[in-house]
Amino acid sequence: MKKIEILRIESLSRAPLVVEGYLFEGSDSTAPKVAIVGALEGDCILPLYCASTLVNFFRNKIDKEKIKGDILIIPSINHYALNIGKRFWPLDNTDLNMMFPGYEHGETTQRIAKKVFDAINGYDYGIILERRPDPAICLPYIKLYKSGYEDLKAAKRFGFKMIHHRTMKSIDTVTLQYNWQLWGTKAFSVICPHENQVDKKLASQINQAIIRFMDKSKIIDYHIFNGYESTVINRDTIEVIKAAKSGIFIAKELPGNYVSKNQVIGEVVHSLEGDVIHQFLAPCNGMITCYYSNSLIYENAVAFRIARIG
Amino acid sequence: MITTEIFSSDLPVGEKLSIKRTRFEPNKKIDKKLKRISIVSGIHGDELEGQLVIYLLADWLNKNSDKLTGIVDVYPAVNSLGVDTITRGFPLYDVDLNRTFPGSANEFLPGQVVYALSQDVKGSDIAIDIHSSNIFLREIPQIRINKEFSKSTLPLAKELNCDFIWIHDAVTVLEATFSHTMNSLGTKTLVVEMGVGMRLTKEYGYQLLIGILNLMKKEGMLTCDDEFITREAFSSEVGDVYYLNAPKSGLFVPALDHCAIIRKDDKIGDIVNPLNGEILSELKAPADGILFTLREYPVVYEGSLIARIFGENSEEN
Repeated sequence: MKKIEILRIESLSRAPLVVEGYLFEGSDSTAPKVAIVGALEGDCILPLYCASTLVNFFRNKIDKEKIKGDILIIPSINHYALNIGKRFWPLDNTDLNMMFPGYEHGETTQRIAKKVFDAINGYDYGIILERRPDPAICLPYIKLYKSGYEDLKAAKRFGFKMIHHRTMKSIDTVTLQYNWQLWGTKAFSVICPHENQVDKKLASQINQAIIRFMDKSKIIDYHIFNGYESTVINRDTIEVIKAAKSGIFIAKELPGNYVSKNQVIGEVVHSLEGDVIHQFLAPCNGMITCYYSNSLIYENAVAFRIARIG
Repeated sequence: MITTEIFSSDLPVGEKLSIKRTRFEPNKKIDKKLKRISIVSGIHGDELEGQLVIYLLADWLNKNSDKLTGIVDVYPAVNSLGVDTITRGFPLYDVDLNRTFPGSANEFLPGQVVYALSQDVKGSDIAIDIHSSNIFLREIPQIRINKEFSKSTLPLAKELNCDFIWIHDAVTVLEATFSHTMNSLGTKTLVVEMGVGMRLTKEYGYQLLIGILNLMKKEGMLTCDDEFITREAFSSEVGDVYYLNAPKSGLFVPALDHCAIIRKDDKIGDIVNPLNGEILSELKAPADGILFTLREYPVVYEGSLIARIFGENSEEN
């Protein structure tokens, strides 16, 4: 294993930001290579934990000869945000994942993106451990843009329950996933729920999926149990359930649970008087894909998303 | 004058989020279709210059209601929660509303907010979206125009009494902005950038007020003898924009007080290290021109924008 310095930025009063990658060189030069990017944001505990445990796995728990293709893992890029509990770049609150492919003469976060992109460009596969952007608890899943460059077949090798094959918005053109794809890497975002504590079971599911993908893609020779035959969903197959009332939100079903039409899946309690002022009924048979992660909910906020079945 | 709620959401604990618009209409009935102008500000909660401009405009309209021959809609605080909490993005969601357009009724809450705004402004002949840069940069009053829509918006921009008109290339990511959405929906929309975040620059507020009144008069929305004397703006059509980014991290100490006309190699400031008294970098103007953007917030990282200069075309740039 080699530790590689990806970038270094000085600061007025803080210690320099030094971003490092862990490179595990494969034994077969013809095998495909993969780069894995962990915490791009500060509010990304699960991506950080998953990436760091993967470093530990490849360093200590797998025979070297089983690593066929090169594996580069960058567990964290935005240490400055992680260390002070901020989400984005702490000085100007810019989102690193809106700065790709980066620009060497541009603003600070564009320069960071450029250096990261230079280090990861050219890999056959790219995996981004992303936090869900909105406040939501979800199942881990693959987000894949309909960019024209995506590889949906390869995305199924992770064996996650679902793949969100998403129509692109204009702002997605500056994300890492899109730019990586544009430059020839088959890139996938593994979406992690927005939680600030490590859920080891969830982290294990995510890492198993990544190892499964790497085995099936012949980057490593390390067989594990099969995962799900992934279901591909898009916006048309998702029901959005909004909060008709504001107050204290209590979800009664978890992501991944199957629910029946008209089943009570959650409620809103009046925040000052304690009455149940609204009950959420499932509008269809389906599986809950995510729910609002904050206990205080605004009127009209999206409380649940359900993938229709049947 | 009627104030209407264009979007509301009850908040969890005894409060309501409300986004409001006030409409000014002519006192007397006019037998023709009236033109409508919408003035929007506060899409970013930390930008307050637009609040002053809209106040000045509302005050003028209240005192001169007999001169109004069009409809004026004002939306001073689109991100109303952000404005009152010094928060640039939409609170809780940490989302930049000006990267969330066009939104939809079925999206997450910030997407619903921007959708409500665009649906309400839709149908206006002209819209002006007033921004104040951010807390890091001070800008002279300027109009930003997407090249894609410049044919229809440039003539309007010239009436607005700003110092600079910057016509920029179409950038895909900017399709998520208010101005792109409204221009696509047929409302000629201009973006004004002026001043600095979290502060008011009274002089600029009055300058833009004159520009808006001038534009309204030219468009037949005001009928009056008042003369609104405006300046001729420099336009980026005839020159180049030069960027000066910090080569080092440190404390930026400007050598200039205000945005100004400068010569190549004029000193713009130093980046220093207070810990040891060292000057880390001396920053000089890369070209002759108008310094239209200047760093306001002194802490810089390598790459932080220090200044933008509008100067002559150069292949080196």
